[in-house]
Amino acid sequence: MSDQDCVPDSDSAASPLDVPADVPPTDAAPPSEPPRRNFLVQALAAGLGAVVGIIPASIGGLFFLSPLIRKTGAAGDFIPLGLSVDGLPDDGTPQRVTVRADIVNVWNKSPNQPIGSVWLRKIEGQVIAFNTICPHLGCAVDHRPAEGDFYCPCHTSAFDLDGERINDIPPRGMDSLDVDVRDGQVWVKYEEFRGATSEKVPV
Amino acid sequence: MIRSLLTWLDDRTGCRQLLHEALYERVPGGARWRYVWGSTLIFTFSLQMITGIFLWMAYNPSTQTAWESVYFIQEKMFLGNIVRGIHHFAAQAMTVLLAIHLIQVIIDGAYKAPREVNFWLGIILMKIVLALGLTGYLLPWDQKGYYATQVSTKIMGATPVIGPQVQEIAQGGSVYSHHTLSRFFAMHAGILPGLLIAFLALHLYVFRRHGITVHDPDHAPDTTFWPDQVLKDAVACLGVLAVVLLLAIFKGAELSPPADVSEAYAAARPEWYFLFLFRFLKFHWVESLGIPFGAIYVPGALMTVLALMPLTARLKNGHKFNVWFTWIVTAGIVGLTSLAIYEDSNNADHQAAIAEADRDAHRIRELAGRPEMIPVEGAVTLLRQDPFTQGPRLFAKHCASCHRWDGHNGRGQFVKATHPSDKSKTMIALPEATDLASFGSREWMRGIVMDYGNHFGALRNAAWYSNLKDEDLDLDESEMAYASQDYAEVFSNPENEQDLKALIEYLVSLRSWPDDAEQFDSSLVERGQQIMNGAALASGDELNSCTNCHDTIGSEFEFTDEGGGYPDLAEYASSKWLKAFISNPGSEQFYASKNHMPAYGEKMSPEELGLLVRWMIGDYYETHVEPYPSMRDQIPTAAAPTESM
Repeated sequence: MSDQDCVPDSDSAASPLDVPADVPPTDAAPPSEPPRRNFLVQALAAGLGAVVGIIPASIGGLFFLSPLIRKTGAAGDFIPLGLSVDGLPDDGTPQRVTVRADIVNVWNKSPNQPIGSVWLRKIEGQVIAFNTICPHLGCAVDHRPAEGDFYCPCHTSAFDLDGERINDIPPRGMDSLDVDVRDGQVWVKYEEFRGATSEKVPV
Repeated sequence: MIRSLLTWLDDRTGCRQLLHEALYERVPGGARWRYVWGSTLIFTFSLQMITGIFLWMAYNPSTQTAWESVYFIQEKMFLGNIVRGIHHFAAQAMTVLLAIHLIQVIIDGAYKAPREVNFWLGIILMKIVLALGLTGYLLPWDQKGYYATQVSTKIMGATPVIGPQVQEIAQGGSVYSHHTLSRFFAMHAGILPGLLIAFLALHLYVFRRHGITVHDPDHAPDTTFWPDQVLKDAVACLGVLAVVLLLAIFKGAELSPPADVSEAYAAARPEWYFLFLFRFLKFHWVESLGIPFGAIYVPGALMTVLALMPLTARLKNGHKFNVWFTWIVTAGIVGLTSLAIYEDSNNADHQAAIAEADRDAHRIRELAGRPEMIPVEGAVTLLRQDPFTQGPRLFAKHCASCHRWDGHNGRGQFVKATHPSDKSKTMIALPEATDLASFGSREWMRGIVMDYGNHFGALRNAAWYSNLKDEDLDLDESEMAYASQDYAEVFSNPENEQDLKALIEYLVSLRSWPDDAEQFDSSLVERGQQIMNGAALASGDELNSCTNCHDTIGSEFEFTDEGGGYPDLAEYASSKWLKAFISNPGSEQFYASKNHMPAYGEKMSPEELGLLVRWMIGDYYETHVEPYPSMRDQIPTAAAPTESM
């Protein structure tokens, strides 16, 4: 095993054509086991090697977890619908109302955008609200005045006017939402829920 | 258990031998610090891969989201400034380490046979790294990156024959657009790193084939890569990491204001490692030979000499020549870089441009950080619609040829004029109209009431220069000057001190600027109004009422074209009043035939006028940016121009 094979001497420029034919250095025959190195050197080398890898990787990893560490956008506040209680029919006929709110998209904020819609009913002066999203698979639930029910055109889910299901297609009744009346105006705590489960779980 | 698992894996993959080969490469002459450079390069590249991929997960390449996403990374995301800082400074570290590696390879003769191919692979790797730096510079889509990259792509376009086509392909069109960012990003995060990994693998493979270029085989007993050289490499990498981290934490990656085609960026410079080329191109003799000469032929020739080194080394004295060549080019690069830095630091205009860019960068963070956040049209609109940012620029452009703002042109610079006798010199120009920094303030009102002739005294310079309507400009002879002399006399009586305060309070209250409501003492204002209407003063004197001439003072401002050349003082100094006045100061409602100021109603758009006025009256989102220091004391006051600079 000769070092000269793989290491040209430093004056090879003077006789460049004498460069020996390439002999792959160490892989032809397994080299003799290197002498046992001082354990300290091995530990240090491994330790420092790990440090220079772990530091950037963990900084990057924490940065990646930023959505968990820095929560943005507190959801679930009451939103005014721009509609007074008096504006709802007294006979309890459902009214569909668009919910508008500021949409925050990471660094952008778009004021007063439609974010969903709700069915509102007034019963003896009390207002109840349902999300129009069908708890089955997320289509928009319609009101059928003739049948006097709520009906989803996608998979024929049907609900009575109190939101209870009247067939077995939806897994649960319509999702009711909290309503607040402030100075005669209707406010709704707009939320969306996971579809296709019997439990009402906010998304 | 683990052992048997490893054996199982090894039987199927041969990983043990691979690991063995990787770790037990022979290092004749012992481990050396001088062998660490290649490893530090691989390490910085790994840093770039790690931070780059994480940044990728938060970056949005489009002209309306690139700056915004980088802003969000930098200011809002957890450790975002550190991750971006590492990426930014490791890129620069990589360039430095690359230069060290290359120089060492040449002086140690490691490029010579049989390592020619590996040298060429290294040159390709160097070009890939530089291309990564160039493409990465544009991605934040800030003013700095935008204008520096414009230069790069223009140079590309100046390449003979294929230039324009290459430029359009790189840009994804004839001008910069969403697609420019998409393409640069695909290059930066996809193609170039892929190429780099491929060529790096080849580079390492060929390196291992020929082994290390031993500097001094008798330095120490032979050893192996693991653990002796690994330890030294790890220490060196730790050093690099420490420097990069310190820079990331304490200096931070810069984010200049969002790119704006309509806003020239006088502070534009390429990244520092391209400064030498920038400076080289600025030599007159280079410029006169055309852009392709300086930007393409000369660097191309140098690269060709470099690439041919493994062949020229075979010639007599070839290696010596190559070493000398390397040192001379290095000295040239260092010299040109230093020259560029030195010149910039002594260039007042460049420093002012940098200062202004810093202000804008600070300001855009304030605006983007408002609860309203950033509009979907992009952050650049925030600056374009910000009176605090645009007011000074509009003032400098339209007003500062006559007026001053606290002695400067609105942007913290002297107004200069060519010297009347020596055209090659410039001097600080004398103001030809009033300094407006105090417009609408108590100081301003006091000046008008008590010392009208001097308050508008700068106007005399206009007469001095142009001999225009001299007789109209004798401010001491004007009616208001006479009235002012009376007022000054009466109000200098100590008994009337409170009444003067009241009159001024009243006059200031006419302006109704934002946040003014709670500022004024209402009893003073009331008393002031009585005085303005001619009520007797504490001393018993009765003044000529302001309403004798300015008969609308105190009423609501209405735009008319009537009046007798006594300026309408209804809601004086308010936004409405200012807009009407600036639009047409020569109207009958204002100075009529005595007016000397151009009408700006047609020179400025209503939006510009609105921004200027809102800036003048302080109607903008609160800022922590320091106002420009006053330069009033540095302005020559004599009627004749004094020489300076």
